[in-house]
Amino acid sequence: MSQAIIADGIKDKTRQLIENWTTAVRDDPRIESDGKLSTPELIDHVPAIIEEICELIRSGEMPDVRNISEARVNVYTRFHQGYKGRDLVRELSLLRITLLDYLMEISSDESRAVDAKDRHEAATILNLYLDEEMRYAITVYCNPSSIAREESNENQDAT
Amino acid sequence: MVSQEEFARFVTDYNEDYILLLTRASKRHYDCLITSFMVLKDLYNMIQVLFDTGQYTHEVLPYPYSFRADAVLMRMLGFGEEGIENIFGFLDYVKETQGMEFEACLEEGTLAMCDRVR
Repeated sequence: MSQAIIADGIKDKTRQLIENWTTAVRDDPRIESDGKLSTPELIDHVPAIIEEICELIRSGEMPDVRNISEARVNVYTRFHQGYKGRDLVRELSLLRITLLDYLMEISSDESRAVDAKDRHEAATILNLYLDEEMRYAITVYCNPSSIAREESNENQDAT
Repeated sequence: MVSQEEFARFVTDYNEDYILLLTRASKRHYDCLITSFMVLKDLYNMIQVLFDTGQYTHEVLPYPYSFRADAVLMRMLGFGEEGIENIFGFLDYVKETQGMEFEACLEEGTLAMCDRVR
């Protein structure tokens, strides 16, 4: 019954969570691709991803190939923005940490009365969603036409 | 059994139709567009489900099926500022005429279908 409380809690805090995530991405020396992007370009589709995750948590629906549309948009745009695959994975990892940390905060707030079972289910949905996104990212980045494109970009960077 | 060649054709058809529908939205030709997007969503889901079986490869990547609040994606697809405004205007149009968000319409299925098709 506390899925809606969790979903509303995350949704209401979206702006703050994105700020935290943006700082984490900008401060991470292992992520190089973000340097080319303005803050709006970096944030781009992340609010829509959080919203989609919240809707899945609210309905108790497990992520699969048919209900992760916003994740696919994020991968697609990142790829076309020239983002490296490993940077995308790290960026998603930081998003996962940001969201899981806040989920723990919500569930430790006694006034919200979130039970352990619902917290576990929300964490599972969140993890599976981001795993599906990474799975799709592997498809995009390992696609033969994508590899040719990346190699061409690297050659251009080198000249 | 769908062949790789047929699968590739589904993706090509999907990509062409996706751009066509967005182009219609960008010119404010909103009539029956919800129904068209519903049909396209089915094709997109079929492509994703087939691809997930691991038996097919993408010769061309399908465009992601979403245009909510993503001006970056719309610019990548070649739409100008006025066109993007009209595409997002379609979402407002759906909410006004159907009393629900675009995504909810897709879930509702036939309830939100165009009179000409229903």
